[in-house]
Amino acid sequence: MRAEVVAVRRTARFAPLMALGALLLAPVCSPAQTVLGTQTLNLNLNGAGLIYAVPATTPLTNSGTVFSNYNGSISITYRARTTVTTGTGAITLQALSGDFTPTGGPALASGALKYTCSGATLGTNCSGTQTVSTASATNVVTLPAAVCTGGGSLCSTANPNTVTINFTLTNDPQYIAGTGYSVTLTFTISAT
Amino acid sequence: MKKTIFLTVALLLMASFAYGQSSTTGTTSLTVNVAAAAALQVNTATTSLTQGGIFSDFTGTTSLTYWVRTTPSSGSGTIVLQVTSDFSPTGGPSVASPPAGDSLTYTCTLGGVGTACSGSQTALTTGTTNVATFGANARSAKAGDSASVSWTLTNDPQYPTGSYSATATFTISAT
Repeated sequence: MRAEVVAVRRTARFAPLMALGALLLAPVCSPAQTVLGTQTLNLNLNGAGLIYAVPATTPLTNSGTVFSNYNGSISITYRARTTVTTGTGAITLQALSGDFTPTGGPALASGALKYTCSGATLGTNCSGTQTVSTASATNVVTLPAAVCTGGGSLCSTANPNTVTINFTLTNDPQYIAGTGYSVTLTFTISAT
Repeated sequence: MKKTIFLTVALLLMASFAYGQSSTTGTTSLTVNVAAAAALQVNTATTSLTQGGIFSDFTGTTSLTYWVRTTPSSGSGTIVLQVTSDFSPTGGPSVASPPAGDSLTYTCTLGGVGTACSGSQTALTTGTTNVATFGANARSAKAGDSASVSWTLTNDPQYPTGSYSATATFTISAT
């Protein structure tokens, strides 16, 4: 009687382990599968692009010489795919919400805000120095045909892709001294 | 089978969310604080004081370019000068210890924002003297505004003949 009790206790102690073993063995013991037929999956991949990360705020500061220009830089993150042969794409920048506010300080209308692009891990950086405008979009990155994010080969090794934009704002003594001048810039990606 | 498809779709959806928010557009707000500031440039590194006639006073002009931005309402600024190195060698003209009745004086002209010093000022080694003052919200041109200081040094027969030089230091400030 005592031996039976001990055996029952041992069985109870190892019950969870036995249950786990049973679960692991279950797939092995499943019935053999039978091929019922084949199916062809067709997938049409269109050119596409997405922007993933743009800093909400980018401070521009100056240092060194008095009245030296204000500078600041940001990196934006994107993914893109363009069509073989005919595809193309771009990331552009525009001050869609208007000029700096409040008025009396820097103004895009005077061409005060310029930028350069560097380090694009997919596509080509913008050429030279660009001037930010409210009226039209200016180039940040150009995407050629047959490129894509991630995976290597024709695609980039980087995933996601990044590009750095370096801003320079003229420091004109004519600006009324004050804090909190700001302008909102919109980046747009397109790909075909 | 239906469960497998459902799980696959769910996993794909979760994978897309794992990359965070994405869109074909993104925005950033560029912000800048524009502070009061001032700078100046002395365009005449060496100003020669010359005389127009026998024992007429020595005169010469120093040209400046200045940049200034003062705060609206409460801001102000100045351009001042001080003779930081008196005439040398000794025995000739002097700013700190001139012969009685002798002096180095100047008048000011501003070509831009601000108010030029009033009348004739006597240069000092012991402190600064005014060249220009700026009120609140004073703002120069981006290329700078021009100013000049016209010097007059007494031509005292007591001065031994020779070449003498002194250094005047201009300082601009703005709040």
